[in-house]
Amino acid sequence: MRPILLQGHERSITQIKYNRDGDLLFTVAKDPVVNVWYSVNGERLGTYNGHTGAVWCVDVDWETRHVLSGSADNSCRLWDCETGKQLALLQTNSAVRTCGFDFGGNIIMFSTDKQMGYQCFVSFIDLRDPSQIEDNEPYMKIPCSESKITSAVWGPLGENIIAGHENGELNHYSAKSGEIVNSIKEHSKQINDIQTSRDMTMFVTASKDCTSKLFDSTSLEHQKTFRTERPVNSAAVSPIYDHVVLGGGQEAMDVTTTSTRIGKFEARFFHVAFEEEFGRVKGHFGPINSLAFHPDGKSYSSGGEDGYVRIHYFDPQYFDFEFES
Amino acid sequence: MPTGDYDSKPSWADQVEEEGIDVEPLSPQIKKQDPASFVLDTPREVINGNIKTITEYKLNDKDKKIKIVRTFKIETLKASKVVAHRKNWKKFGNSEYDPPGPNVATTTVSDDVLMTFITNKEDLNNQEEEDPMNKLKGQKIVSCRICKGDHWTTRCPYKDTLGPMQKELAEQLGLSTADKEKAPGAEPEPAQAPVSKTGKYVPPSLRDGGSRRGESMQPNRRADDNATIRVTNLSEDTRETDLQELFRPFGSISRIYLAKDKTTGQSKGFAFISFHRREDAARAIAGVSGFGYDHLILNVEWAKPSTN
Repeated sequence: MRPILLQGHERSITQIKYNRDGDLLFTVAKDPVVNVWYSVNGERLGTYNGHTGAVWCVDVDWETRHVLSGSADNSCRLWDCETGKQLALLQTNSAVRTCGFDFGGNIIMFSTDKQMGYQCFVSFIDLRDPSQIEDNEPYMKIPCSESKITSAVWGPLGENIIAGHENGELNHYSAKSGEIVNSIKEHSKQINDIQTSRDMTMFVTASKDCTSKLFDSTSLEHQKTFRTERPVNSAAVSPIYDHVVLGGGQEAMDVTTTSTRIGKFEARFFHVAFEEEFGRVKGHFGPINSLAFHPDGKSYSSGGEDGYVRIHYFDPQYFDFEFES
Repeated sequence: MPTGDYDSKPSWADQVEEEGIDVEPLSPQIKKQDPASFVLDTPREVINGNIKTITEYKLNDKDKKIKIVRTFKIETLKASKVVAHRKNWKKFGNSEYDPPGPNVATTTVSDDVLMTFITNKEDLNNQEEEDPMNKLKGQKIVSCRICKGDHWTTRCPYKDTLGPMQKELAEQLGLSTADKEKAPGAEPEPAQAPVSKTGKYVPPSLRDGGSRRGESMQPNRRADDNATIRVTNLSEDTRETDLQELFRPFGSISRIYLAKDKTTGQSKGFAFISFHRREDAARAIAGVSGFGYDHLILNVEWAKPSTN
């Protein structure tokens, strides 16, 4: 396969995400620009300009109308997807680490970092209520005093959010009451990424403890473990096969002292049921920070510490491949 | 190439109707058109089947007209209506002024990469590769010669105490092994006796008493050895007569052996001189050692007992 190389960022990529149809790919990095690309040929549709710091997270709603981005400039911004205009600016006290739309695209969630004397908060805002945006007053704000949230996604049916913490804990926060519904601690170190499967029945975590784990979305029951030798920065579930792809590698601070060969910067494909690795794709010059499967499962993209995003369309060999246990 | 020629039907069922859109794949030779090229021939666009060829002309740095031919493959992809609609969106932000199609500044095609499939066997091999390293970790890479500890010999804490003792031991051992080596040579008969019984041919030298030949010579030679001196650094022209002249003043000489090259007959530069008496030999050493003879300084010393 010949990957399409997207050079829209000057700093390392922090997150990449496809919209629901998979025709657009949103990328954010530690520079202030949010990029959107046509996934089919890598053409850049546009940029959402306005942030003044590193952008940690991006999300797009179900109908690809609005885009949400959270940044270290202590703001979370809502954009019009088509025109790139800023629709809302939500000021926070500390950097916004995660953000997400619920199914309807009406309620947004974002979490802020524990820094500069401020606690880690998860905030919920209903976009249908303009006063909440104007007054910068979320209808619910859940404090997390123990360990800050490093990754979060909406759970099934929009009832709760699944949050991964710096200490490896996973929590279900109810979107209605703000209570912790469910809590487990399967990881020993920071959870870098959480991504749900297409039907949202399962989600996969990527942790600094060199493992990636698959959980049931409603019960938070641990299902499978995928082990590597390096910290895992991102993991994604294939929408069509029983595959997960893991990205990671040497920690960014150690990268300059190791060669690309031993740094293990490949995207690694694991079979879900057998928990065994069956394929690797090389290409990045640094650790992979974010991975995403195209919703049709025929291509995937990866964003790395090297600042590049690569769109890979699978070769026929991938579809012909049968896992031998 | 985005196209927007679809009918906008209000029915919800059309939301999933497949629509055709044209996609322009990347070409590695895409170049921006020079604004100054308006005087040149206008660009031509020829579509032949699914191949689109764009020919344009521009001036290069040396004001020479160059022709740029770009070839595109037009792929028609079916996509849902919303996707087709989004394909027609106007570019915005930093890409606002980009022409249709991918901009080479932001989008390039990378080198071919292949997914490497890992079979179970390869996986096992990887584990084996790692195993020897682990084994090495457990092993002692450095071993002290003195105390067999896990450090270099020079760093051994017992270097001063154990070291000399072991040397003495080693010398004693060396002697005893030398004795052992001599022993089989001294009495080879028991080992060879059974051989002769088999009825096979045994060469005379290996037969019983074969090695006793010339035994009577041994004591004499040993006596000679005691009064033999070695002379080295002789010139090539030296003859045995010269040596006789040189050493006769010290006493009666029983034998002179001058080492000579077998083919040329020239002296090899050393000789053994045996005296009848040991005192004469000692005086010869004292007298001739360091003596300048035929432009060379002679070196005279006691001959070491021959090893055979």
